[in-house]
Amino acid sequence: MLHAKSSLHSPLPAAATIKLDTASFELLTSPTRDWSASIQLTALDPRRRCNPCKEFSPSWNAVAKAWSKTSKQHRDTHFFATLDFDDGQAVFQQLGLASAPVVYAYPAAEGSRSTGKTAPSTYDFSHGFEAGPLAQHLSRHTPIPIPYTAPFDWARWTTTAAGVLANRWTWAVVSILTSLVMTSGYMFTRIRNSPFMGGDGSWIAGGFQNQYGQEVQVISLVYGTLGFAFIMLTLVIPYQSSSQRQRFQVYLWTAVIAMVYSILVVLFKAKNRGYPFRLLL
Amino acid sequence: MPQAIPLPSDLSPATVANTASLLRIIALSLISGAAIASRLFAVINFESIIHEFDPWFNYRATRVLASKGFYEFWNWFDPTAWYPLGRVVGGTVYPGLMATSGVIYYGLRALNLPVDIRNICVLLAPGFSALTAWATYMFTKEMKDESAGLLAAAFIGIVPGYISRSVAGSYDNEAIAIFLLMFTFFCWIKALKLGSALFGTVAAVFYFYMVAAWGGYVFITNMIPLHALVLILMGRFTSRLYVAYSSWYVIGTLASMQVPFVGFQPVSTSEHMAALGVFGLLQIVAFTQLVRSHVSSKQFQDILFVALVSAGVLGVAAFVGLTYKGTIAPWTGRFYSLWDTGYAKKYIPIIASVSEHQPTAWPSFFMDLQFLIFLFPAGVIMCFHQLRDEHVFVIIYAVMASYFAGVMVRLMLTLTPVVCVAAAVAFSSLLDTYLDAHEPEPEASATDSAASVDTGKKPKKEKAATGSALADLVAAATPTKKGDAPKFKGVYGTDTRFMIVMNAIAMLSFFVFHCTWATANAYSSPSVVLASQNQDGSQHIIDDFREAYYWLRQNTPETAVVMSWWDYGYQIAGMADRPTLVDNNTWNNTHIATVGKAMSSSEEVAYPILRKHDVDYVLVIFGGLLGYSGDDINKFLWMVRIAQGVWPEEIQEPNYFTPQGEYRVDSMASNAMKNSLMYKMSYYRFSELFGGGQAVDRVRNQQLPKEGPTLDVLDEAYTTENWIVRIYQVRKEDLLGRDLKSANAFAKGKKRKRSKPASRRRALSAAAST
Repeated sequence: MLHAKSSLHSPLPAAATIKLDTASFELLTSPTRDWSASIQLTALDPRRRCNPCKEFSPSWNAVAKAWSKTSKQHRDTHFFATLDFDDGQAVFQQLGLASAPVVYAYPAAEGSRSTGKTAPSTYDFSHGFEAGPLAQHLSRHTPIPIPYTAPFDWARWTTTAAGVLANRWTWAVVSILTSLVMTSGYMFTRIRNSPFMGGDGSWIAGGFQNQYGQEVQVISLVYGTLGFAFIMLTLVIPYQSSSQRQRFQVYLWTAVIAMVYSILVVLFKAKNRGYPFRLLL
Repeated sequence: MPQAIPLPSDLSPATVANTASLLRIIALSLISGAAIASRLFAVINFESIIHEFDPWFNYRATRVLASKGFYEFWNWFDPTAWYPLGRVVGGTVYPGLMATSGVIYYGLRALNLPVDIRNICVLLAPGFSALTAWATYMFTKEMKDESAGLLAAAFIGIVPGYISRSVAGSYDNEAIAIFLLMFTFFCWIKALKLGSALFGTVAAVFYFYMVAAWGGYVFITNMIPLHALVLILMGRFTSRLYVAYSSWYVIGTLASMQVPFVGFQPVSTSEHMAALGVFGLLQIVAFTQLVRSHVSSKQFQDILFVALVSAGVLGVAAFVGLTYKGTIAPWTGRFYSLWDTGYAKKYIPIIASVSEHQPTAWPSFFMDLQFLIFLFPAGVIMCFHQLRDEHVFVIIYAVMASYFAGVMVRLMLTLTPVVCVAAAVAFSSLLDTYLDAHEPEPEASATDSAASVDTGKKPKKEKAATGSALADLVAAATPTKKGDAPKFKGVYGTDTRFMIVMNAIAMLSFFVFHCTWATANAYSSPSVVLASQNQDGSQHIIDDFREAYYWLRQNTPETAVVMSWWDYGYQIAGMADRPTLVDNNTWNNTHIATVGKAMSSSEEVAYPILRKHDVDYVLVIFGGLLGYSGDDINKFLWMVRIAQGVWPEEIQEPNYFTPQGEYRVDSMASNAMKNSLMYKMSYYRFSELFGGGQAVDRVRNQQLPKEGPTLDVLDEAYTTENWIVRIYQVRKEDLLGRDLKSANAFAKGKKRKRSKPASRRRALSAAAST
């Protein structure tokens, strides 16, 4: 028995799933087994014209491969195996199978992992041929869950990224943010290593040729708000179909401009004490 | 369609068109007038004088050109600069500015209008600012329409960001370069729109003029290829682009190589490689277009792939190979420091030391551009909204220039035009929308929502308004599919229009007030002549610089070599007409470091340097008495740093700080500081000025020791009225062969103490105090 076991798992490192024939199938599903096994019964030969088999096979291999990456101690208690119709017609007849693919999960019949059940359970293909549900189902029969993760979907990501890159408004946002941040003195703080705020907790640095990191945020917000107000007035409000609502928005955004602009002038006065002008504030 | 404002309807379209064009001409001439007039503060407040530093060299060169003719100027070798090396002026100068003034000078003379060359130089910048306004008008007209063009012209006419470099007397390359920049860009856009080789050639000619006038031409050299590249990447390659770019690049590059200072750089330096690369790429793309029209699409795909890959690999390999071999020079430090901002400070302190190469804090942006700075993003958004080929140009320009302006104060100048253009597009779109007299048809649903607005609570109302506004923004921004997007309707009512127009007028007037104030107060000082206010508010002129330079001119032999920090080299050459060791050209770092070393070393070390360089006079700027902060003690650390770059064992920056790391000039100052020639020359006999009182340096607000420094190798020759300029004469070697220190001590009746030279000063001070 021991000898048989070692001959069974020896091909594992090379291929994640064992290729069976009638004899080895009998061996693997022997009633005195102290291991468990998941067996795919399939017909991959092109002459058999089994399209579902071909569709399912990659998912099976992916799950088997994920299992083969677990530690040796767990790996040697559960086996993934594939029996092709052309290698084991007798098994198909014996099990009374008329269609493929079929997945059987054989629980351990003896040893510590035995649950008393020896009859195999069948995987229900109602979830489709995806690898994810298969791994989830088979994990119930393995000592530890199968560490399967869906591979990264490059195709969908590339399409999305290309769509984002081709969209002019992506570029608009990038350009506007760049120029707002640059015109708010970001490079000054980078080059001079200005602190984010003053040591005494003040956030606005004294002096015309000096500024803190926080000023970049405030000033770009101010510029951004003012620019946005102009965009609203020019590009949005004329599309408004209700005259009352339009009037309200015109007044709202005009007030926003007046207020924020006044704040900006106040900030500038704080930096340049000699500045003689002021607006509302 | 109903109208919000009644308009006359019996005018023929021809009358309207003619009136509009007449009004445009009037508006443009008024804008030109305003642009010139607002730059004359400097002349009215002071006098018709050349400003600052570099303009003095330009002025001097122009005088040579005007008096001796162009060929003399072209071959001019100036032995008095960079003594004893001299300078080949004709080959190391951008001659466009001088040539322009020379042409105007000779033109006026041909018309029997003899005008002093100085006045031409002083008024050249204001004159060209009027042309800049016109070029900006033409450029913006291509972006939107004439009304946006007029606004842009008005903005650039008076915006402080441009005035700062173009007031009367600011006779520098930028004075004409911004006009050339805008006009080249206009021709490029026009060539691109029309696919016209003629406009491409005109762009190339003005590009040549720009190359001859300003080193900033590299901006054009990279902007136009970048625009072309982005258009190709966007799939907007057209034969128009091909014609425009090829004609511009070929003619422009060949022409630019005629300027001696540029020479073969367009084919051998990295700054110019983008233009060459895009030129090659365009040929490939055009060729594939040609092949595509002759072969089937499957074959074409294969050919295209192979061709593009091999061309790309070959191109990059050639570029790398040539750079490696040294045929293509890598980026020069000045341009490289724009990308790696720490580079200059580490490796080329002389570039980092220039005040206009400092990064820009936000108040400078607001000071120079005022409300244009926040209209600018709105204008860029509108460019994205339409995104024709020419709008792509404005977008790229906006992003690049705002980065550059953030890194270096002086590059604010290249940002200013695009800010004016974008802001004008945004502002005129606003005015177009709200000045349109047509009113949309009122809709039935209007009454419903009006009712809900009136009854709704305030915060809710606001939220609803902005929420729906955002939805509208998205709808307006996405390219309209027929039928399902909201239609452009227009503005209801007169009060809304009135509101917006009043707001616009208020903002424009504030802008005018701001510009006038900024120009008058911040940007019109010649810096050669200083102004202060008397007790009664009247103006007091401080004219120390010219006083000192004229003293040199009148009282020293013509061959007397004057050493000063490089900032004053051009002024000494221009006003005092004496040879200088270093000047603002800054081409020889070692020579400048030599001067820095002499200034920052002790007398014993400095004296041989002075003598070896035949220095007769040393000139320092000292602001301690008046509180003039741009003096040499404040620039002193840069001299130390630059000298340290060449002699790291002899000069070390930390030695000039106190152990606590402070920069002090009072009794706490470090020994290296107190013994340095610069310190001694600045504070020599300064305390005597205060009688018995405490001597105070009013720039650094520090009290100086009663005992001032002594000088052995220099004699004080002249100090100006306000002590801003101090001139020292270098002593010749002692006739008896003693060193000057002991000779000096002997003359003062002290015994020489060879063993303990340090105690001499103590003995001296003891003698003085008794």
